[in-house]
Amino acid sequence: MNTPNTNSGAETEVARKKLGFGFWLCVGWLGAMVFIALFTPLLPLKSPTANFLDPSQGRPPYSPSWKHWFGTDKDARDVFARTMHGARISLTVGFSAITAGFLVGGTIGVMSGYFRSWIDRVSSFVFVVLLSFPSLVLAILLTSLIERSLLTVSLVLGLLSIAPVGRLARAATLQYSEREFVLAARQIGAKDRHIIVKEILPNVAIPMSSLALLGMAVAVVAEGGLAFLGLSVEKGITWGGLIQLGSDASKTLEKAPWISFFPILMLFLTVLSLNFAGDRLRTFFDVKEMTL
Amino acid sequence: MRYYVQRVALAILLLLAVSMLTFGALNVLGDPLFNILGPVAGDVNNPDSVKMIELAKREFSLDRPLPVRYAIWLSDFVRGDFGVTFSSTGQPPVSGVISERLPRTVTLVAMAQFFAILVSIPWALITASRAGKFSDRISTLNAFFLVAMPNFALAVILKFVFSIKLGWMPLTFVADDPLSSRLFQMILPALTIGLPVAAVYQRLLRTDIITTLQQDFILLARTKGLSRTRILLVHALRPSLFSFITVVGLNTGALIGGSIVSETVFRIPGIGSTLVESVLRNDFPVVLAIVMIVASAFVIINLLVDFAYTLIDPRVRR
Repeated sequence: MNTPNTNSGAETEVARKKLGFGFWLCVGWLGAMVFIALFTPLLPLKSPTANFLDPSQGRPPYSPSWKHWFGTDKDARDVFARTMHGARISLTVGFSAITAGFLVGGTIGVMSGYFRSWIDRVSSFVFVVLLSFPSLVLAILLTSLIERSLLTVSLVLGLLSIAPVGRLARAATLQYSEREFVLAARQIGAKDRHIIVKEILPNVAIPMSSLALLGMAVAVVAEGGLAFLGLSVEKGITWGGLIQLGSDASKTLEKAPWISFFPILMLFLTVLSLNFAGDRLRTFFDVKEMTL
Repeated sequence: MRYYVQRVALAILLLLAVSMLTFGALNVLGDPLFNILGPVAGDVNNPDSVKMIELAKREFSLDRPLPVRYAIWLSDFVRGDFGVTFSSTGQPPVSGVISERLPRTVTLVAMAQFFAILVSIPWALITASRAGKFSDRISTLNAFFLVAMPNFALAVILKFVFSIKLGWMPLTFVADDPLSSRLFQMILPALTIGLPVAAVYQRLLRTDIITTLQQDFILLARTKGLSRTRILLVHALRPSLFSFITVVGLNTGALIGGSIVSETVFRIPGIGSTLVESVLRNDFPVVLAIVMIVASAFVIINLLVDFAYTLIDPRVRR
């Protein structure tokens, strides 16, 4: 039992002071992904839908080579180009979902935490109802019933993040709504709207925003899962869809593992970066007991 | 007593709300007729088709207003009659589908939970006793990796490594095999669900054990000269398990979510993969039944965890 208590105090103290090398590495990766997602059509990539049949190599799928860095799938399409294109939908859906969730959930949460009364009771019940489904079940249910476009899939995942985000916003607001500076503002006659926007929001926004990255990781995974089940954006290339395509038949997976493994690697690194950077930020801002 | 009644009433209210939402969404957004009749359902100009549509509507009581249909469905549902599947024949009944497939999912989830606990407790004990050291840092990093690996990707990797490359595990689930080999076939699917959860449990339990290890009674045990293993297993573990047990309970719902993906990848005909199939086929009665079963399981588990609290700490009852 070599003094187990040496670390906690000192270590967290140091860790809080700086974000560390790992954090910037993750930010770098995420930056690269965002760049790729934004400028996919402009990048010198091969066409993601063209068939690069090469009679000298026999029948596709072709393994990774100089010509096709990540190999090709069984229609001789370039896996590298497809994977890069996949970044687009995954990141767009992840980002818009969490933005929608934060706007709606955040507003409802702050309102119910500040005003309490019936607003709080109604919204809390709605949150509990939303949280009584495993989120993947609800996502499958909703996406199966609608036309699956970039917008609607984002909205469905945004809807799913309303409840967890709303709960956090409510909890954070409760912490501040009875603090001295809020009471003082009310004493000098400030209106509710002024108090919420100027006094409470700045205090709630910082811890909440450090959770945005963690939330986005959840949304990206959820989109991948939906795509894997064939329930994400119908037109277009997604990481989940690519992984599904490469692993659908055991024979494909056995003969050409690269078709699914490169998208898995990209998805994994992206989710890892979001989680890691989010976790670092959370420690940095010292947000406690808040999990998505 | 009043507390328990209130909680149970709230749970029932919650399930009613869930069923209304699901029923409403399915019937407003979806088109059940198409699934029963096929393309005929859209052919409103042909008198023959119209007759068939009328007939099907009556047979599946789709001609009644939505609230009435909901009431009928609900009264059947609470009596254990989940209705008929939306297909041309209406066979097999939904309860038949469920009773055949639910046990597989329950087994899978139980196995996943078992693996997660089996892995996380020793993992947490070892890392907590070496907190802050190199091995602990490596393990934290590993936990991060596991959590960042989406379960469908993990499923593909496990399948590739253990079934295809090493050949240790069977590739598919065969429903007619004897129980022991079916359980063996479920090991990889259960690991797919359980491993990321084990990482979550480990993080939580490790923190709690570290807190416990700083208590005076541990110091006393150490001055008595007890061995490191004995202190960890006998003195430190039990008082650290409180929040662990809660999270294990509450996580069961998340495991059901994981079983959807795992069952699909490993082709296990449980309720998770059935949900995906039925949703794609617009087979609403099956979807509704599965959603209700999952939500009920979720709500009941939450209720039990809350009640377990009141037994441990009566102040919660207020």
